[in-house]
Amino acid sequence: MSKNVLVVDDEPVVQYSIKRILEEAGLNVTQAGGGRECLDLLRKGYKGLILMDIIMPEMDGWDTIQALVDEGLNEGNIICMLTGKEIPDAKMDKLKEYVLDYIRKPFDNQKLIRVVKDYLNFLD
Amino acid sequence: MPLQTVQNVVVIGSSAGGPRILKEMFSGLPKLKAGMVLVQHMPKFINQSLKESIERVTGMVVAIARDGDALENGKVLIAPSEQHVAFVQNRGVRLFNGQKVNFVCPSVDVAMLSLLRFSGMQCIGVILSGMGRDGADGMAHIKHIRGVTIAQNEETCAVFGMPKEAIATGCVDYVLSPGAIREKLIDLVGIAHR
Repeated sequence: MSKNVLVVDDEPVVQYSIKRILEEAGLNVTQAGGGRECLDLLRKGYKGLILMDIIMPEMDGWDTIQALVDEGLNEGNIICMLTGKEIPDAKMDKLKEYVLDYIRKPFDNQKLIRVVKDYLNFLD
Repeated sequence: MPLQTVQNVVVIGSSAGGPRILKEMFSGLPKLKAGMVLVQHMPKFINQSLKESIERVTGMVVAIARDGDALENGKVLIAPSEQHVAFVQNRGVRLFNGQKVNFVCPSVDVAMLSLLRFSGMQCIGVILSGMGRDGADGMAHIKHIRGVTIAQNEETCAVFGMPKEAIATGCVDYVLSPGAIREKLIDLVGIAHR
């Protein structure tokens, strides 16, 4: 099972909270503060499960997914969106086949670990 | 294609949140007296992982669909990514390349809309979590050919888009949790005996 999780979120509190929870569960967590940082990591060959915030300044989650799909960087990576209460924008329908799940914030720690590990199993 | 005819055909449409919801829905599901087709929106590289994830928890036989496959009682055919799947006389499936429908390929609507009404055969449509409205027209079609339609409830969806759109057609019979969908399928089609 892959143990790599990339957290893409502009809020440091969310980043560190997820990192702490998942590292205590034995996973390797990498952080990116935004879409550009995420793309840089993927261009360098990062593979794993990507937990992507939707609302971020400069380049939001959808822009980031569009960019990584355009560059073929989605191959071998599973993408799950981190969302608040917002309903995903119907305009983003065209990207939906690249997003495997939505994880609602605030999240239950145990549920987060279970879902993340389930999807990491898909990367064997 | 073999001439075996199944009495029950179940089509499951699923998108975001589907892989973990399917695992819950199939958990403990015995071999049903039905041929089943699953259309899950997903990247191609996880097709095999999804198959293995489902077959670990169910008594059903699970396979990635191939062009010309026949439906069999107790067997789930998973539509492979990047190809549409359509039924042939409700007995088998054909796979074909085509433009995206509802922004996706395979499309749930393409599969469901290809079902025909035959006397003595029951068609069942199930629509699970996901964004957009893929499957809404297909579910309405299944109702119109006197089939049974089931949508996942909002509380258990990752995204209540596809079930909501299907329900809005007025053609959904049941709105249920994944566990309750499993029980409803058993009630509707029964368990296959060897």
